[in-house]
Order: sequence, then C-alpha cells, then structure tokens
Amino acid sequence: MKKFNIEFTVGLFVLAGILCLGYLSIKLGGMELLGNQGYDVYALFSNSGGLKQGSSVMIAGVEVGRIRSIGLDDYQARIVMNLNQGVKLQEDAIAAIKTKGLIGEKFIEITPGGADKIIPPGGKIRETLPPVDFEQLISKYVFGKVE
Amino acid sequence: MVNHRLDRETAVPLVLMMVMVFFWACPAWAGMPTEKVKETTDKILAVVSDSALKDPAKEAQRRERIRKTVDELCDWEEMSRRSLGRHWAQRSDQEKKEFVHLFGQLLERTYIDKVEGYSGEKVIYAGERIDGDYAEVDVRIVTKKNTEIAVLYKMRKRDQKWWVYDMVVEGISLVNNYRTQFSDILAKSSFEGLMKKLKEKSAE
Repeated sequence: MKKFNIEFTVGLFVLAGILCLGYLSIKLGGMELLGNQGYDVYALFSNSGGLKQGSSVMIAGVEVGRIRSIGLDDYQARIVMNLNQGVKLQEDAIAAIKTKGLIGEKFIEITPGGADKIIPPGGKIRETLPPVDFEQLISKYVFGKVE
Repeated sequence: MVNHRLDRETAVPLVLMMVMVFFWACPAWAGMPTEKVKETTDKILAVVSDSALKDPAKEAQRRERIRKTVDELCDWEEMSRRSLGRHWAQRSDQEKKEFVHLFGQLLERTYIDKVEGYSGEKVIYAGERIDGDYAEVDVRIVTKKNTEIAVLYKMRKRDQKWWVYDMVVEGISLVNNYRTQFSDILAKSSFEGLMKKLKEKSAE
C-alpha cells in the first residue's frame, strides 16, 4: 500500500512537470491552442529578411497580431498575418519589416493609412517594405569609397 | 476532309480575334507604367544636362521646367493623402489643398538639388509588375562608382493614366518616412503647428 502511494505521487509530479513544460513551450512559442480569434490578411514582400512564424505584428509598438505563415509566391515572400479582432487596417496602410534594436528579432510594423476603404479579412496589404539590409548598405558605402 | 473544313471555319474568327486583341492592346501598351517613368526621367535629364540652362541666372527657369515635368508624373494629392495618413480625413478641403501645395514645395526643395547634381549616372529599367490599377516599376540607378541604387516607383491608374504615389529607395519609402514624421509632429502639436513647420521649411 505504501509502495503504491510513492509511485502514485511520483507519477503525479511527473505529470504536473510535463503539463508545466507543455504550458511553457506554448506560451514561449507564442502558439495559440484554443482556436485563433481575429482575422487573416496577407502581404507580399520582396524579402522576408528572416521573419519567423509567430513573430509580432505591431502598430505604434503595440502588438496587434502574429505571423501565421510564410511562403514563397512567384519568388516573393507571401506572409499571412493573423490580426486581433477590432484592429482595422486602411487600404493604404504600410507594412514594413523591422528589427528590434540593431540585431534583435524581426517583426512587422504597420503604419496606418488614411484611406476610407478597410482591408477585409483575407485581403491584401498592398504597400510593403522589405527590411533594410544594413550589410548591403555598408558594403555599398565601403566599395563606393574604395575607388 | 472534315478536318479541313473545320480549320477554315475556326480560322476566320481566330484572325478576327487576333486583330482585335492587337488593336485593343496597342493603346494600353503605349501607356505602360515603365514608359511613363522613362519618358519623364528622360525629359528631366534633358533639362538638367541642357548646357543652355546651366547658367546660374537661369536657375529659376530650369527648376520651373523640372517641376512641370515632375507634375506630369506624380499624383501630389494622393502622395499627400497617404503621407498624412489617418489625419487626412479630419481636415477641411481648404486645409487639404493648402497641405498638398506645401508638401509639394517641401519635396521640390528637398529633391531638386539632388536631381540637379546629376552627373551622367545610368538609369536602368529593370521591370514592372502590374496588378489591376496598381503597378510597380523597378529602376536601378548606376553611379559612376558602379554602385547600384534600387528605386521602386509605386504607381496607380487614374483617368486612364499612370501616376506615381510613392517612391521606395533602397527599401525606404518616401510616404512612410513622411507619414511617421507627420504623425509624430501631429501627436506633439496640432495641424496648425505642422503647417507652420512646413511653411518655415519652404521659406528657408
């Protein structure tokens, strides 16, 4: 009887540990288990610059959604974003890929536009800006200097 | 035999269709976005490299001609609307008109010096993408030091003509740049404050 109790408790602790691990990985990975709320929009970028699934979508530094998927479409990066319900994007909103700090992770920053038309669920953000490639800019400057 | 008859029957409408497509396609092709950008760029470069206009005394005349040429390419109102973003709708027609005028002047002052500094850089038209009423024209400017600068013209069709509403240089958008600056200014002060700043800029 005593033996069974110890095994039972250990099992309970292991189970609790696994549950905690699962919770942590879901939280840290930015996944959502219980169905996504909000709606999807997509955008085509000439370069996704190492953006990842689950990266943030921000307006004025506030997270308003996450990246659902990244794929290739006619040699351009097609990025599907899941935006929170209640976030409205005007047709001329600009989506730009930016870096947190100088070498931080990539995210999408949206600057709201002034058009009357709102992008519907499943719609396309037409105005996009690829990440600024500092390496390329510096190399251009450097090689410009050499000659 | 049956085959031959069928051929003749289908051939006539086929040729007719081809002729129709040809005539329908021609005017559209003449107004392609790249053509329009190229036409304007060539005109500006002609003005800038015109030795008769090189004289400093003719600066005003030269700038006037550049401005007129650019006016045919750029949709100032659309550019202003996009730059002001969500603040645009809150302004009255009079304010909008004044803003378009001042913003045009600001761009002219900022960029005309750069255009006048032209010294034989090559312009390459690398391609275009058309999506309904919107188009992108890919342009590369090759400097004398052989570095390439990528410029993307964003265009929109209005009244059967293509108009530029944004320019992206090396991944930096003109509209986005002004949009963030204007919204910063508007968050700190008012629309009147922004107009005052623009006026001061153009009076410099």
